[in-house]
Order: sequence, then C-alpha cells, then structure tokens
Amino acid sequence: MKISHHPSEELLVSYASGSMTEPVALVIATHLAMCPACRRIVADAEATGGALLEELQPQILRPDALNSALERLNNTHGAPAQKSRSNFGAPEPLNSYLSRPLDETKWIHVTPWLAIKPLTTRGGTRAQLIRSAPGSGVSLHTHRGEELTLVLQGGFSDEYGHYGPGDLQTATPETQHTPIADMDSYCINLAVTDAPLVFKNWSVGVIAKLFGF
Amino acid sequence: MSEGTDLNSLLVLVGAAQDRAAFAALFGHFAPRIKAYLMRLGAGSAQAEDLAQEAMLTVWRKAALYDPAKASAATWIFTVARNLRIDAIRRERRPAFDPNDAAFVPDADPPPDSGLERAEDGETLRAAMEVLPPEQAEIVRMSFYSDKPHSEIARELGLPLGTVKSRLRLAMGRLRQAMGGRE
Repeated sequence: MKISHHPSEELLVSYASGSMTEPVALVIATHLAMCPACRRIVADAEATGGALLEELQPQILRPDALNSALERLNNTHGAPAQKSRSNFGAPEPLNSYLSRPLDETKWIHVTPWLAIKPLTTRGGTRAQLIRSAPGSGVSLHTHRGEELTLVLQGGFSDEYGHYGPGDLQTATPETQHTPIADMDSYCINLAVTDAPLVFKNWSVGVIAKLFGF
Repeated sequence: MSEGTDLNSLLVLVGAAQDRAAFAALFGHFAPRIKAYLMRLGAGSAQAEDLAQEAMLTVWRKAALYDPAKASAATWIFTVARNLRIDAIRRERRPAFDPNDAAFVPDADPPPDSGLERAEDGETLRAAMEVLPPEQAEIVRMSFYSDKPHSEIARELGLPLGTVKSRLRLAMGRLRQAMGGRE
C-alpha cells in the first residue's frame, strides 16, 4: 500500500496523548493500521508521554495504598482472553464498529450517487462511511469545521491530488474542493466531521441539510 | 544500570514471574505519578488515587505483553493510564489498531535506532525535553495535560493555530533529533 497523504503531526500527537474524541480517534487509528510511518510518529509521541509522566511531581498516596493493591493482586489474574469478534475484512479498529462487511453495508442514499452509513457520534463530531458511485463528484464545497476523510476502497481526486486506500485527506475551513470518485469502482471512505459542509450551490445544500450529510 | 533500565527490568519480571516485590517497587514509583497525571487532567484527588490503583492492577494483568525492546516502562505505563482515563473519566472507547489483525499492514522496513520509543532512550529524551525552548515545551505539555484539541489550546494561549502547530512540530523534531544524535 503506497500512502502519500498522512494526518498532521499534531493529530498524531493528540491521538497519542488521548485528547481526541472517539470518532476522530477511530479515523486516525484506522489510518495507523495501514501506515507504519505514522505508527512510528505515534510511538515517538507516546515516548514523550512516558517522559512527561516521569517528570511529574509525585502525589502522595493514602498510607494503605500499596497494601490494598497487593491484596487485590490475589484476585487479579492474567490478561483476559480477547473477545472473539467477527471479521468483516476492514482493519481494526474500524472492523469493531461494523455489523457487516463493507460490501454489504446498509447504505442510506443521500443522492443516487452518494450514500452514507453513520458509525459513531460524540458531541457534534461524527464518523461515518461514505460511498460515492464511480466517476461521481460532490459539488464544490467548503468546510465549517475540520473534516478528515480516509479512503478504504477505490479512490478519488480533487484540486489537491489523488487519494487511494490508506490516504487521509484533511479539510479545514480554508479548503474549497470538488472531489470526484475514480471511474473504475465505488469509492468508500471513512470520514469524520465536526460541522456540516457548506455547498456553493444552494440546492445541493438543501439536500445535504435534509439528510444531515 | 540506570533507574530507567531498572524499572524496565522490574516490569519484565512482573510479566514473566508475577513477582510481587517487583510490582511493589513499580507501584511505589509509578502510582504517585499516575495520580499526579490524572490530577493534572482535572481528576479529584480521591478519584485520581483510585484510578492510579486501577492502572497499576492493569499493569499487573498485562505485564506479560510488555516488550522492553519497543518501549520504556514509563512509556508503556503512560499508555495504560491514558487508556484508563479515556475509559473511566471520559467514558469513551479508545479506538486502537491491532497488530494481530489480518488487515494490519506490518512495518516492512523498521528503521534501526530512529525512534524515540526505544527503551534505553527514556533519559536522553527527558534531557532533550529540558532544553526545549520554553514556548515549545509549553505546547508539548499542554498537548498531554489539557485534554483539548490544538485549536482550543491556541485560543487559550491567544496564539494563531498555525503558531501552536509549528511549535509542536519543531519540538517533536528536536526530540527526535536528540535521539538520532546518539550513537
């Protein structure tokens, strides 16, 4: 897998520090499953977290803290067996958020060419699968918030380049683009947004609003 | 043998032999720091202490999974405390990749000696952190202790987001470079 579009370093640091909400972390961690280079950056950031833990001024514990922990060890046994989970062919952690294989997703059609499947939401931030028909485009739009789009199958192009499986596109309020799916197959993306898109064409905007896209 | 390597060996001993004395020594070192970490992130003293104990019990249960070639004990225990915080305080799942998953893309070309994560690098890394320019160190610490995205950190500091991002990148670059400069 040749990945040329990666999350920014600050997103990887936020994933390592644990200060990212679950829907965003789902997209970043799914990219990490496919991208050894970004895993190394996360490992570096976690090492920084370890060094910060070492430099903290220790807080005094209750006098019986150690004894009570040692007592509890007697009832604490090895790591619990991993729960077996269905394999839907998508990388973890995305796989755990699916209830069927990607090809059998129960899509909600927004237009004849565009379908979505919501996965998880926190506050105003939501992660969803988005499927675009071959060669179809999403009309010119901007973003009120930050949007991350991870390609799972197929690919798309926009003013900034081509995105294939494993590539992650970051769109900010400054990004104005017209993504078009590759001609040869459906494009399935995992996307997270914290605000609705702003379409340049009002009728598309109305449809988007109706369907909460 | 330095203190960091000692801690790594203690954690290996807990994993390999359920050594209670080794666990007690790790507890004495890390539980008060985990408590401090959780309090920095807004937990009350009592909750932070309860969770620090939970974190150390997780360390006991999972110690067999610790690999000293991949991370220092401090780094590994940091990730345990972080995950527990997300689960117990934020009440969210922590989405994580799984190296045993069939769809996981393994690292075909692990670069030798390039990561900060190697166990023996803990002290060099701490030294490098101490000589970071204060405005860069501040962003690194806030990234770990504020539970906020960088856009909010920028707002709080009254800085443009771009400045916060570039300080963080410079800091991470320096930390990596400090490691690379070692033999």
